[in-house]
Amino acid sequence: MKRIAALIAKDLADISRHPGLFWPAGLTAAISLALPFFIAVAIPSLTGEPLSDSSDFQIAVEMYRNQFGARDLDPEGAIQAWILQQFLPLLVLAPVAGSMSIAAASVVGEKQARTLEPLLATSITTFELLTAKVLGALLPAIALTFICFCAYAALAAGLTRSGVFWILLAPRSLLVTFILGPLAALAALQLAVCVSSRANDARSAQQIGALVILPLGGALVAQLTGSFTLDVPVTLSISGLLFLVNVALMWIGIAVFDRESILTRWK
Amino acid sequence: MIRAEHLTRTFGTRVAVENLSLEVERGEILALLGPNGAGKTTTLRMLAGLIAPTSGTVRVRGEAMDRATAARLRGHVGLLTEAPGLWDRLTVRENLLVYARLQGVDAPATRVDRALDLFEIRRRADDPAAELSKGLKQRVALARTLLHNPQILLLDEPTSGLDPESARDVRQMIVQLRDEGRAVLLSTHHLDEVDRIATRVAVLSTRLIAADTPAALRGQLFGTRVRIGLVGEVRPYIAVLHGLGIRDAHIYGDTISIDLSHTMIDTPAVVRALVDAGARIESVTPEQPPLEDVYLRLVSEDARVGSPEESPRR
Repeated sequence: MKRIAALIAKDLADISRHPGLFWPAGLTAAISLALPFFIAVAIPSLTGEPLSDSSDFQIAVEMYRNQFGARDLDPEGAIQAWILQQFLPLLVLAPVAGSMSIAAASVVGEKQARTLEPLLATSITTFELLTAKVLGALLPAIALTFICFCAYAALAAGLTRSGVFWILLAPRSLLVTFILGPLAALAALQLAVCVSSRANDARSAQQIGALVILPLGGALVAQLTGSFTLDVPVTLSISGLLFLVNVALMWIGIAVFDRESILTRWK
Repeated sequence: MIRAEHLTRTFGTRVAVENLSLEVERGEILALLGPNGAGKTTTLRMLAGLIAPTSGTVRVRGEAMDRATAARLRGHVGLLTEAPGLWDRLTVRENLLVYARLQGVDAPATRVDRALDLFEIRRRADDPAAELSKGLKQRVALARTLLHNPQILLLDEPTSGLDPESARDVRQMIVQLRDEGRAVLLSTHHLDEVDRIATRVAVLSTRLIAADTPAALRGQLFGTRVRIGLVGEVRPYIAVLHGLGIRDAHIYGDTISIDLSHTMIDTPAVVRALVDAGARIESVTPEQPPLEDVYLRLVSEDARVGSPEESPRR
C-alpha cells in the first residue's frame, strides 16, 4: 500500500504542475454542464416558449411524472428534471475523457521520459505499479466529477423550477454519479493504462482507451430516445457488470504488462 | 555478493549475451567493458532482475533470482541507469522522497535529508529536477540509487556526458562506495576511469573475452616490462641482461626496456646485477601500456578468432 500511495502522490504532484493536462477535462466538463441548462432554461427563456407547450416533450412529461418523487412537479419542472437527468451521465463521463490523457501517458510517458527503468528497478510489483497509475488518473477525474455534480446541483437549485433540484439528489442520480460513473471511469482508465503499457506512444494509447466511452455514449443516446432508462435496477446491474469488467481488466493488465518488452523493444 | 552463472539472453534470433559468468565481491569495483551492442546493458538488467536470462542464473547474496524472488532481491541491488531518469517537474527532494517510499525505507524524510547532505545537493533540494545540470542530475540519481542502502551497485555509464569535474566527483563517490564494502559493477567506455578505480576488468563482446585485474591483463598481453634509465653509455649492459637470461631488451636513448615475463628473475635482481656491473641507474619504472591498448587488442583478437568455444582469459 505504501508504494502505491507513494506513486499516486508522485503522479498527482506531477500533473498538478502541468495545468495544461486539465484543459481538455475542464472544457468538456464546462460544455457538459452548460448544455442541459441551455436547452432546459436558456432556450425557453430566450424564445418565451415554455418547453411544456411543445408536443415533443409530452411523452417525456408522462414518463417522468410516473416516477416517484417527480409527481409533484409542474409540466415545465418535469421536463427540466428529465433533461437534467438525461445529461447527467454525460457530465459524469466528461472528466473521464480528460483523465484519459493522463492514463494514456502513464506508462508510455514514463518510458519516453526515461524514468521507467529506475522505477522498475525498485521492489515495486506490477500490480502496485498499475494500480497506482490507474488511481493517479482516476482520483482527479472523481474530484472533477464531484465538483461538476455540485455545480450542476447548484445551477439546478438556482435556475430551474422548484423541486427539480431534489430530483438530482434522488438515488438514481446519485447512483449514476457516484457509482456508475466512477466504475465506468475506472474501466476506461484501466484500459488506457493497459494500452499505455503496450503502445509506443501516448496518442495511440489515448485513442484506443477512449473506445470504452463509445458504449456509454450509445447508452446515453438510447436513453434520450426513450428506448432505455437508467433507473435504479438498470444502474445497479450495469455497475455490477462494470465491477466484473474492472476485475478482469486488472488481471489482463498485469498479464500483458511485459517489463522486458517495455525495456528492450521500445525506442 | 552478486554472481552471474552461464547467463545467456537472446532477443528473437539475436544473441545479446552468451554464456556469461562473473562475480562481484564485497569491496571491489568490477568494470564491464565492451563495444556498443556488446551486451553490457542487457547484463546489468539481468543482474538487476529487470529482464530474465534465457538461460543461466543470477545469484544475489547466494539466492537465485527468479519470478518469485526478483522483487525482493531487487531491494538488495541499486541500479543507476544510463539516463538519470528524474521526474523533471518534481523537486530534487520530492524525487528522492518518492524513491525512499517506494524502497520502503524507515523514516524516508530523514533518509532523504541525509542523502542530500552526503551528496552535497541540499542547496538545490527544492529546485525542480529539470533545472539541474547534467552532472547534478547524475549526482541526484546516484543518491537515489543508494537510498535503500544496497550492498550491490550496478552503474551503467555513470560518467557518460559529464564534464571532467563532475566526472571526477562521481568517480570519487564510486570509490567511496567501494571503500564502504559495497560490490560495484561499473559499465563504462572510459578506460582511464577504469584504470583509476577498477579492481578488476571484464571485457564483454556478447560473451566474456577476459576478466582479471588491469595489471594481470597487461601482463598477459604485453608481458611484464620494465624501463631502466641509465647515466652514460647503455649498450655495454645489454650483455649483462643477456647473461641473466633476458632476451627481450631494447635500447631507447639512455633507457633500456626489458621484458621479464618469460624469465625467473625479478626487477631488484636485474638492478643489482646492473649496479654490480658498474651501471649508474637513474630510474626504474614498470612499463604500463595504456588500458586502451589492452582493451583494443582483446576486442580485435576476439573479432579475429570469433569462436564462441574459445575460453575467456582469466
